[in-house]
Amino acid sequence: MAGRAGLHLWGIDHRLAPTEVRERAHIDPERVGGLLAALSREPGFVSAVPVSTCNRTEIYVEALPGFAPFDSMTRSLAGAGLDPSLFTGEHAVRLTDGEAVRRLYRVSAGLESMMLGEPQISGQLKDAYRLAKEHHELGPVLMRAFQGAFRAGKRVRTETKIGEGAVSVAFAAVELARKFFADLPRHRALLVGAGETGALAARHFLQQGIGGLIVVNRSPERARTLADDLNGGKGELVRARPWEDLPAALADVDVVLSTTGSLEPVILPEMVRAAMRRRRGRPLYVLDIAVPRDVHPDVARVDETYVFGLDDLDEIVQSNLAARRKQLPGAERIVEEELAEFRAWVREMDLRPSVAEFRAYLEDLKEKQVGYVRRKQSDEVAAAVDASLQQFIKKVLGRSMESLKSAESEQERQQHLATLHRLFAPQTSQTSQEPREPSEPHDRP
Amino acid sequence: MRLALTVGEVLLPLLYLLLFVAYLWVFYENRKFAHRWARRLLATTVVAHLAASVIHARVHHHLPMASPLEFLSLLALSLLLIYAVVERRLRVRETGFLVTGVAFLLQFIASAFSIAEPAANPLLEDPGYAGHAVLVLLAYTALSLSFLYAALYLVLARQLARKTFGLLFRRLPPLEVLERMSVGAAKLGVPLLFGALALGHLWLYDLADKLDPETARSLTPFDPKILTSWLIFLVYLAGLAGHRWWGWRGRRMNTLAILTYLAVVLAMGAIHHFIPSFHNFSLRGGV
Repeated sequence: MAGRAGLHLWGIDHRLAPTEVRERAHIDPERVGGLLAALSREPGFVSAVPVSTCNRTEIYVEALPGFAPFDSMTRSLAGAGLDPSLFTGEHAVRLTDGEAVRRLYRVSAGLESMMLGEPQISGQLKDAYRLAKEHHELGPVLMRAFQGAFRAGKRVRTETKIGEGAVSVAFAAVELARKFFADLPRHRALLVGAGETGALAARHFLQQGIGGLIVVNRSPERARTLADDLNGGKGELVRARPWEDLPAALADVDVVLSTTGSLEPVILPEMVRAAMRRRRGRPLYVLDIAVPRDVHPDVARVDETYVFGLDDLDEIVQSNLAARRKQLPGAERIVEEELAEFRAWVREMDLRPSVAEFRAYLEDLKEKQVGYVRRKQSDEVAAAVDASLQQFIKKVLGRSMESLKSAESEQERQQHLATLHRLFAPQTSQTSQEPREPSEPHDRP
Repeated sequence: MRLALTVGEVLLPLLYLLLFVAYLWVFYENRKFAHRWARRLLATTVVAHLAASVIHARVHHHLPMASPLEFLSLLALSLLLIYAVVERRLRVRETGFLVTGVAFLLQFIASAFSIAEPAANPLLEDPGYAGHAVLVLLAYTALSLSFLYAALYLVLARQLARKTFGLLFRRLPPLEVLERMSVGAAKLGVPLLFGALALGHLWLYDLADKLDPETARSLTPFDPKILTSWLIFLVYLAGLAGHRWWGWRGRRMNTLAILTYLAVVLAMGAIHHFIPSFHNFSLRGGV
């Protein structure tokens, strides 16, 4: 019996490897072809899917028993210009078969992500799978494992609430804004300060579809540069205004992001009160993410003004993370269900060669028996015998498959398979014998 | 027909209960299929209750308002109808459990304690009066919903101001949507109230022609309830104009909506109890 293909996983992730190691282990899409070409020269290699994101680099390999994982992988990684020691040292994870598949399913469901339940990994896995398929034909085990992983990920996200709520400060800022405003595109934001943190927050609000952004900064040049950078040469969604316009700008926007490096508050109660008079009660959402704070504490007392700081955003993130963690048991149950289905498929795959031998043996017997009947009887009788024996074979095979599938242990199943193989494998089969004359021809017309 | 009525009496509270459960599910789970079920059940319950009301009117030849229990049932339907319109406009279902919960309670009481054939005021057989009464009911239901959403706005605004990021913070729709729902309900209530008042006036003159001169003299458009209703109409109209043209928004606007509604309830209650009015349609008094 030919050896069954197995799965090997070599990788590193955010739990074991620091950022600099992850950066060095990153496999960009241009290198994937080279790595797969190097692997394909290794004996026993069937196919592979390299997955590389900012938090993990994992190579899933399907290979036959002749594959020498350590030697083959290190040679191939080196051949592709990667440092094999990154995948063999203290930061590495190496798993095989069931454990490798479990890991893949958990990754797909976001259970291995830095931000539990994050959805991006699902798309990244699909991209990696597609890219690998463009370079070579995937083996059946790897293909089935990835399809199962996608299904597990989808089920976890739809059947549990593991993906709900913002789990990063930037997302929490937007989530909070959405508690005030239903449609962000209908509202504008004001960015006070043109530093890196502010630019990041502004970029995030723009990605979430804010309707416009005003940048004010003590240095108008930096405000203009940031506005141009955020616009990216497309349109004028982001505009720079002079620092003196800050009080007036407060009346024109609904969201304020303040991130200056000022040692004194720059948004003062009188300023906000004046703006609120012009706003006629429209709520103002102020996010002060500067340290020390940019917004005077008394601003929070101004009617219709809601001021939040980093601590508030962190509280939202922690509360959402706690809620996500509560969903873990349900998510893990789904992963185990999908894994059980994968294992059942593997068992069926294992059975196929032996069952095929058994079927061939029975078919052969049937043909001989039908040939014998045809020589002795009419064609109609032979056809009837043929149909009857076909039914018989179907029932015998069905019953055998059921017994094999329901074996209580792997050992028992292997014993059944070995017996089947010993009895019906071609080299030992008795199919060459001519059927003997039926002793009791009951159905002779 | 009578069999259908009996079946309706049993089925309606069950439908309302299912509806309430579906909206609770939406509030706690916020899943697509929960939303789908809530939407379908809302349509089913409204249609079933409307059908039951039509059958009732045809069997008993009067509007199903002859007893306080029949009124409660019609109020439940009116709540659902107005809510369905607001929900359809804004596609927000997270607050539905509050409305459907109240509607279920009303319908449950109405069905559990209903009597077979209450004595009905003959006025309920008059289409003019029936139209007026239904419009009044719908108008005040809409204004009540407007009050409910204004109150929810203040609850969420308070949670945000106090930085309490609990269940209501997670599940309630944004402040902007709650305000739109409150204003949306008021926008339904104001024209309905105008329609109710206009129809009431027309019906008043029509009725005066049919009555003896002495009774007809008691019918006056300066009845305290009518005058108060016109005042309510004008206050809400001003509120809507302020929202539309003068940018009235936020906590202050919603506080005003709540205070206005409370004033309406108190004024109507006081008039009903302390000031004699021809506007009393019980079997003993009134026209």
